Amino acid sequence: MSHDPSIWITALLTLAIFSFLWRENPVFRFAEHLLVGVSAGYYVVQYFYSGVVKKLIVPVEQNFAANGLLIFGGVLGLLMFARLWRRLAWLARYPIAFYVAAGAGYFIPSILEANVLKQIGGTLTAPAAAATPFALFSAVVMAAGVLASLVYFYFSVEHRGAVGVVSRAGILFLMIGFGASFGYTVMGRITLLIGRFQFLFRDWLGLGL
Amino acid sequence: MSLGARLARVDRRLIFLLMTLAVAGPILIPIKLPIIVSKEVEDFYREIEALSPGDHVLLAIDYEPDVMAELSPMSEAVLDRLFAKDTKIVALTLYPGGVGIAQGLLEEAAARHGKTYGEDYVFLGYNPDYSGTMLRLGESIKATYPTDQFGRDTRDLPILRDCDAYRDLSLLVSICGSQLSEFWAAYAGGRYGQRMVSGNTAVQAILIYPFYQSGQIKGFLGGLKGAAEYETRIQRPGQGVRGMGSQTAGHVVIVLLVLVGNAGYLAARRRRA
Amino acid sequence: MLQRSLPIFFAGLVGIFMAVQYFVLHPGMARIYNLVLDWKQVVFACTLMLGVFSLIRFHWRKIARRTADAFYSLVVVISCSITVLAAAVFGTETGPYTWLYDRVQAPMQATMFSLLAYFVASASYRAFRARSVHATLLLLAGAVVMLGRVPTGDLIGFELHGQRVSLASIAAWILDTPNLAAKRGILIGVGLGMISTSLRIILGIERAYLGLSRGTGADI
Repeated sequence: MSHDPSIWITALLTLAIFSFLWRENPVFRFAEHLLVGVSAGYYVVQYFYSGVVKKLIVPVEQNFAANGLLIFGGVLGLLMFARLWRRLAWLARYPIAFYVAAGAGYFIPSILEANVLKQIGGTLTAPAAAATPFALFSAVVMAAGVLASLVYFYFSVEHRGAVGVVSRAGILFLMIGFGASFGYTVMGRITLLIGRFQFLFRDWLGLGL
Repeated sequence: MSLGARLARVDRRLIFLLMTLAVAGPILIPIKLPIIVSKEVEDFYREIEALSPGDHVLLAIDYEPDVMAELSPMSEAVLDRLFAKDTKIVALTLYPGGVGIAQGLLEEAAARHGKTYGEDYVFLGYNPDYSGTMLRLGESIKATYPTDQFGRDTRDLPILRDCDAYRDLSLLVSICGSQLSEFWAAYAGGRYGQRMVSGNTAVQAILIYPFYQSGQIKGFLGGLKGAAEYETRIQRPGQGVRGMGSQTAGHVVIVLLVLVGNAGYLAARRRRA
Repeated sequence: MLQRSLPIFFAGLVGIFMAVQYFVLHPGMARIYNLVLDWKQVVFACTLMLGVFSLIRFHWRKIARRTADAFYSLVVVISCSITVLAAAVFGTETGPYTWLYDRVQAPMQATMFSLLAYFVASASYRAFRARSVHATLLLLAGAVVMLGRVPTGDLIGFELHGQRVSLASIAAWILDTPNLAAKRGILIGVGLGMISTSLRIILGIERAYLGLSRGTGADI
């Protein structure tokens, strides 16, 4: 068993969170709100240090001639805080418009290439790259599945006749995909629990590997 | 009450107890299980092995404590391998909560391999706005990070003397608990042609398959199993391998619960008919 | 005009510039592009800080009104203040700030998410029913992947034409083929949808993100 007081504090807080499994209780609520408060404090320090000090104050101090224009970014950032006062909240529209539109601007060509063109390319070239008959079969099934899934989500045409058949095939592929997602989600959640048990048993109680 | 009715009404606290026993059991009584390396992990391994001493690698440790149980095992294994190959590691994180995790992992791995900060590795820290950072790194690493996490001027660091953008990096390794690997592929890979591999949580790994098949991501590790496979491949058993017993037991319990739930449901349906 | 039209025009200008610069390699464009990216990071940091301030203001008001759970709000405000003070006085590299992260925030955040393992077990038992062909297919795929992606998946299998077919290889095929197809279909569809939304933002058709409604530009 550990003699480190820090480990004991962590272990007790961990058990306080786990107490929620029995039912909601004041110990859990205290731990939950403690987490919220400490996280909020931690994050605001990181945001200020990384976003304001490192990205604005330090470069402007290092070389005002080259980096002076960064101050305009600081002004936009300050305008964001106008949201805290209802009469001045409209001022925050400028930094929001800037941020959202800048992101939308470079989003278009980047996502078009990565999420659309490269994906279509991967689908069409897979059969040619197949080294064995089974790989060729899989590549054809994959290509058919991509097409069927896309047809399922195309609601501008009624899903009847040939379109209906392809759409229903698309549902089958989607169900298999969601089943696989469920399996991997379970895997991920169990791993998180393994991590906490390893801390409790190994680091706190000194048991197991 | 019939067996079917009882199967349909198991108290959830009994389910919680079953899960606890399944996961805790193999931690207290370890089980050794064989681990076979999958294709995507083998490709990940090959990309790392293709690196030469002195190559610069960008290591993005993009996750927070909520998923560190899944991603820290693979981060440790990858760091050990990169340091063993004498590559230069330029590390950063795009999550504020990842600063403490990344710093701890780097310091521990550097101590194990006798590496010097500023020469063999650097931790640039956290930068807000992930997409802006990914794009800005393509223009200048030093302009994106004027100082490292500890306030040192990046222009003065020996490791960054000949490394200032993606063109100077041999590989990008994204260890990520969210969609950021896909955005690294879009921004760093798409616009700047940066070669990359990724390590992802299980929930995200299922979404990486299209990027892997199209060649945008050259190899990836998925969840704790991916970490276990990579540790097996590099012959360095760690947290990943040790967690496989609990992982297996947990999965078996879930499948049994689904079967029991459906047995109860079918029995109830038959009774109603 | 200052409150409605100018922000929309500003958004259009910035959006069009950022879309066009992707294809233009002129050094002047690159300088403005880098400046926009740097401004974005400062604005983002301020936005996130605003979120934290709003959270503290919310809890402060609960304390002032002495609501039933004002005690918990006090816990939030005090713990946040202590964390910020610890960073201001002792720095962020060592000391109480890093102790709070290593011993309080990180383990508690990890524990919160580990509760999901229990809830996924309970939900699997209660809700995962083979009510239809589709649900059965989903269930079977999930079960095969769950059992195939752990070490025992390699041990369960059979021989077919001299080749070993294990649960692990079936799971791998499911992931590489039908799952990949479904995810790729969703990826392409979502990608096209996101591009469409981005275009609507740049062209000023989509204004809800500014708190304005379409057409009239009136506040929502």
